[in-house]
Amino acid sequence: MLNYNQALTEEKIYPHLQIKEIKPIMKLIIRGRKREFLSASGKTLNMLLPTKANTFTQNDKLTALWLSIDEWMIFSNETQNKETNIYEIEKLLNKNISKLNLGAITDVTDQFVMINLKGDKIYDLFQTGSPYNFDIFQSKKGVVIQTILAKVDVIVQNQKKNEVNLFVRRSFAQHLFSWMNDSASRL
Amino acid sequence: MFIINCPFCGKRDQSEFKAGGEAHIIRPKQPTELSDDEWAEYLFMRKNIKGVQFERWNHVHGCRKWFNIVRDTSNDEIKTVYKMGEDPPKL
Repeated sequence: MLNYNQALTEEKIYPHLQIKEIKPIMKLIIRGRKREFLSASGKTLNMLLPTKANTFTQNDKLTALWLSIDEWMIFSNETQNKETNIYEIEKLLNKNISKLNLGAITDVTDQFVMINLKGDKIYDLFQTGSPYNFDIFQSKKGVVIQTILAKVDVIVQNQKKNEVNLFVRRSFAQHLFSWMNDSASRL
Repeated sequence: MFIINCPFCGKRDQSEFKAGGEAHIIRPKQPTELSDDEWAEYLFMRKNIKGVQFERWNHVHGCRKWFNIVRDTSNDEIKTVYKMGEDPPKL
């Protein structure tokens, strides 16, 4: 990461909810529509990009979130070295996709903050500020959605039961974090 | 408030979307040959009827894709949703 600053300086623990930033996580947005793009990205990432709406795929190193019919977010499952913003997988994707005009790769590591939420009150918290109905989402495996939470654009990934990863733009992260703390304190 | 069935993401609340005005307005092929009135007609004049209307919407807080809907403006009932480039349904 370049000029690395921690967006959220603390971890919050409530009786049924734990909120903390996971850092530094590599995040890439990859875009493309061609059939060749899907096969090249599959070979490079060693996993297929999810083509079904609102789902994600995962291997031992990376997770690919469906964002749109031609857009995915790739993030590393493990934290990365914070002294560098050079990632081997980005180089490979650039070589196999961008250079061949099959699609576009954008490094959004510093643009998005990943917040991990654990506990059985996650969806009670979301319910206080999101128009999305999380009833089906919380019991379904391998799902991801983009919606709004406290009027902020977020990507929510159902990692496992009672654990979600939430991606928010860095400039909104502190505001959202303080809103979540305020809301969580009254659950 | 109403629910819109995004053709890409599924059913979502209206607050995730942004209305993009009347659909199926075709840009004139030769704008320079139009009179000011004809250009203004294309650029500004919209039907805005009370009743069934063809509209463009964007899932701005979701997949960010444009699509068309047929909506009854008098009661917000959505008759159908279809993708950009598809022919409008006959009602």
